[in-house]
Amino acid sequence: METASGIISLLVPSGNTVLRLVVLSLLAVNAVALWQLWRGAMTAAGTTSPASRVLTDVATRFLVYQVLAIGAAVMLLPFYWMVVTAFKDGQTAAAFPPYWTPTQIQTEAPHPETGEMVPVVPQAVQIVAGQEIPVAPEEGVRFRRVERGGVWQTLELPDPESVFMANPDNFVTNPIMALDFRNFLRAWYRPEQTSRGEVNFLTYFLVSAGTSVAATTGTLITSALAAFAFARLVFWGKTVLFYLILATMMVPGQVLLIPNFLVLSGLGMLDTYAALVVPWLASVFTIFLMRQFFMTIPEDLWEAARIDGAGRFRYLWQVVVPLSKPVFITAGIFDFLNNWNSLLWPLIVTSSPTKRTLMVGLQNLNDEAGTEFHILMAASCFAILPIVVVFFFLQRFFIEGIARTGLK
Amino acid sequence: MSPATRRKLRDNLEAYAYLAPAGIILIIFWLVPVGVSLAMSFGNITALQPMEEFRFVGLSQYTEAFRNPAFVQTLWNTTNYVLYSVPATLVLALSAALLLNRQIAGRGFFRTVYFLPYITTWVAIAIVFRYLFHREYGLGNWFLGVLTVNLLGFENPVRLEWLSEPRGIWEMVFFEPVFNRSVPPLPFGLNNLVAGPSLSLFSIILTSIWRDTGYFMIIFLAGLQNIDRTLYEAAAIDGANPIQRFKAITFPLLSPISFFLLIISMIGAFKVFVPQFMMTPGGGPDGSTRPLVMYLYEEGFTGEWNLSYAAAIAYILTMIILGLTLLQNRLFGRKIEYGN
Repeated sequence: METASGIISLLVPSGNTVLRLVVLSLLAVNAVALWQLWRGAMTAAGTTSPASRVLTDVATRFLVYQVLAIGAAVMLLPFYWMVVTAFKDGQTAAAFPPYWTPTQIQTEAPHPETGEMVPVVPQAVQIVAGQEIPVAPEEGVRFRRVERGGVWQTLELPDPESVFMANPDNFVTNPIMALDFRNFLRAWYRPEQTSRGEVNFLTYFLVSAGTSVAATTGTLITSALAAFAFARLVFWGKTVLFYLILATMMVPGQVLLIPNFLVLSGLGMLDTYAALVVPWLASVFTIFLMRQFFMTIPEDLWEAARIDGAGRFRYLWQVVVPLSKPVFITAGIFDFLNNWNSLLWPLIVTSSPTKRTLMVGLQNLNDEAGTEFHILMAASCFAILPIVVVFFFLQRFFIEGIARTGLK
Repeated sequence: MSPATRRKLRDNLEAYAYLAPAGIILIIFWLVPVGVSLAMSFGNITALQPMEEFRFVGLSQYTEAFRNPAFVQTLWNTTNYVLYSVPATLVLALSAALLLNRQIAGRGFFRTVYFLPYITTWVAIAIVFRYLFHREYGLGNWFLGVLTVNLLGFENPVRLEWLSEPRGIWEMVFFEPVFNRSVPPLPFGLNNLVAGPSLSLFSIILTSIWRDTGYFMIIFLAGLQNIDRTLYEAAAIDGANPIQRFKAITFPLLSPISFFLLIISMIGAFKVFVPQFMMTPGGGPDGSTRPLVMYLYEEGFTGEWNLSYAAAIAYILTMIILGLTLLQNRLFGRKIEYGN
């Protein structure tokens, strides 16, 4: 590791951790690219392709990898930053230039002799020509030296003249790299401090999960029934109704906010869990998606089921639904995400803390925690985590679903 | 009643029974509200002026909206958001799809990574990017510092106000350096178009490009894979280079999807609410980020609860979206069906 960082510091003399990291990852990507090149060259050697074409192919691949890697870095950086900040304390989260690792300014340390925890007072000190000069932290430059249990750590500092704002390596702190999970607890229990009753993120999660599952299950059932009617049954006004349903897809949901709010208040349903579920128990889009899928199921199956004595409902339930598993999963994912992610509707129809969804809870925290980004990042982490976990299990359905619904 | 008629009636009743659960919900919460909302927009309902005192005021809510500078600004904010986020997202998505549409190691990895932002929730993303674009300790300013000091050798790092900057991006990079003044007010708020989105709105635009690129990339990838490979082989035999192949095969065969995506993403972008609401809760510096839907929410559900006014704004939004939908139908007729 020492040698590696030595080599990298040769490559990046200005000694910036991040630039080093970038160089390191570029090296890694290029290693993969070179391996690809070598393999390509080996394959090409066995063929009769002209050398110039092999070279162009190789150069293209090389360039493609560079661009893709930069793109991937841009996509992943905010996630990395979110997770890293969630493990920082308030001071390191608000530090500029930033810390790139989970770093905390230590406030307590075991005493070297007694072993008991004693408070550590961070003292800003600048060493110029061997002399310690205390520096106020407000001066824009962070020099920290920490007394841990009576033992001063000696830190060599660069010439202050050479220090400039944008390079974190020129600042010496007492970085304690540690995975401190307390921010997650702070974020999780934080709402309790600001509202009456036992409200924390568990409440928000339960509200979000409960209402989303209820609305999604309901939508899948009502949509399957309606889609079956549109796909397989004959009735008066079928075409008109179908086009009416398609037309409603064009109306933006924002038009419905005000009347629906009035309807719910007329029904006395404002600020109830039902207000978060009932209006979302049917989805035009899901009906349409399912109808398209049901149309592809061969009619022969219905004939066979009828000969076996099954009614239409039983046919739908025991033949069509099991055959349509992919479309149920795809539609279920989209309906669930729509409910889980919605912010405006829950914001309007609920007011009491016990009925806040996760998104409203996060929005509330965003307003209240303001610039306590270590708390906010921890909360964002556990809001994103469930969806990311589900995504990795159901990735195929996500991607196929999007490709199918956006296409043709 | 003949047995045939009776059976037909029974079949119909059965079909309506299947439709009933979804139908009742859709009628109560979709169909009726569309009409009620339209009726309300011609009235004068506020929280203080309840339903019983409904008075028909004609189009005055609409005319009032267009006379209100705050509304005109939100309209331009939304337009700027659409104009800058949609084309950039689609171009980046198509580029990424073209790069990934080949046999390379790690293809699945890149696809997953590019798609990851889309599945995470807007609310959490907005919080993270509010931090990244923070004027004091955001990574945006740190990056500018590294770029200007370490790489370009400037004396002092360049710092921007990001989400706290009300000036338009063209105002900052072009108008002010050249003319030494800000963009003067123009009729119909056209100065908003000349000055471009404010840097605060532009930060939000960057965030939404970051989030949505992967989504459109997936659709473009599927479109690319639907193109018959033999076309490329034939073109290669005829000696066409990659650029010629793109112009002659990929672009024409992909353009129906591209225009379809252009329209649906414009419709989606006109309805934007969460990023602005989360990243600039007060509507941004000088109200320079507030989109239509946020204005609707603030007018209709906070303060004086001007429900009729909010309904009129909702219908102005509907008109825009309907216009885009009709444009799409005009251009493609029946070639493209919804979600088929």
